[in-house]
Amino acid sequence: MTKRFFIIGLLAFGLFLAGQVFAHTPLCSCYDNGDGTVTCEGGFSDGSSAAGVEMRVLDAAGKVLIKGKMDDDSEFTFKKPKGPYKVQFDAGPGHLVEIDGKDIVE
Amino acid sequence: MKKMMFVIIGLAVLALSVPAYAHFQMIYTPDAALTKSAKINLKMVFTHPFEAGHTMDIGKDEKGSIHPPLAFGEMHKGKKKDLLDMLRPITFASLTNSGKAYETSVRLKGMGDHIFYFVPAPYYEGSEDIYIQHCTKVILNIAGAPTDWDTPVGDPLPVEIIPLDKPYALWVGNVFRGIVTCKGKPVSNAEIEVEYLNHDVEGNSFAKEAKAEAPNDALVTMTIKADVNGVFTFGIPRAGWWGFAALGAGGDLKHNGKELSRDAVIWVQAVDMK
Repeated sequence: MTKRFFIIGLLAFGLFLAGQVFAHTPLCSCYDNGDGTVTCEGGFSDGSSAAGVEMRVLDAAGKVLIKGKMDDDSEFTFKKPKGPYKVQFDAGPGHLVEIDGKDIVE
Repeated sequence: MKKMMFVIIGLAVLALSVPAYAHFQMIYTPDAALTKSAKINLKMVFTHPFEAGHTMDIGKDEKGSIHPPLAFGEMHKGKKKDLLDMLRPITFASLTNSGKAYETSVRLKGMGDHIFYFVPAPYYEGSEDIYIQHCTKVILNIAGAPTDWDTPVGDPLPVEIIPLDKPYALWVGNVFRGIVTCKGKPVSNAEIEVEYLNHDVEGNSFAKEAKAEAPNDALVTMTIKADVNGVFTFGIPRAGWWGFAALGAGGDLKHNGKELSRDAVIWVQAVDMK
């Protein structure tokens, strides 16, 4: 009897943990400031801050051009590369957002 | 003489039987949820959205003078921006007439919620001999990040519907819930009119084609009630924009010596799950 309860308890706990994985989605959106710089904002679907999340700007070959962190306002501003580029918001495994530079407009 | 009498009675009956569809102040834009920064157009139109019917001159008093809007702005990440100077007058055509309205183009910049709010000068409604003022808001979002949607705008909105469900993240069949408030306090048992924007907006006019047909007038303007805590719930049956107007949320008020109905309006957009 107790064993069965224990198993149900474990299952319920497992479900609870599994739910946590999907509970928030990483979000990132960038815009061109029109002055040669781009600002990206980050966050999570539950409204939590993205301060400290690693940001990378890569060229077409995947070489990292700029590396930095989201500031206290969950923002990251960088100098727009000359050629094609993409931006990565890396909040850990399963929490990577990649934005193509050509989708970043004013 | 007798004939004349009949005509008068006939006209009187006609006048009485014109359905009292609800007035709705709209802040219209095609999409509530955007994926990235964009320049958008907002139209402020005071109309009857289900029927695409009679469109009123915003801010017209009993003498026919037009008074400019009192407030228009945007709230994003808790900061309010006054955009009153950006309003441009337009003439908006309904299926039956034209009314004086406003529009503006704004650059929606920055991830998260952007709440647009509009407070017109009171409008004199002759058929009811009252003034109506629709304090209206709409909540747009960029990239899914929740920042302001459940936060009251507060001043300059004296009355306001605070959503309990994201107004831009609704599937058809979801419910939309909100709290009717006046100066931040819930309005017990508030009466709320609900109407569907049943015609597309094309430029500065309504498209002729109706999306849905209502079998009776009670389904054109639906009336629901909030509970004792000012909370109401509405199940959304169809994709598109839905307007909610909490009547008289401002309490007993007077304007130019006449009754003023200060109503709180919010617009929400549902999408089909395909």
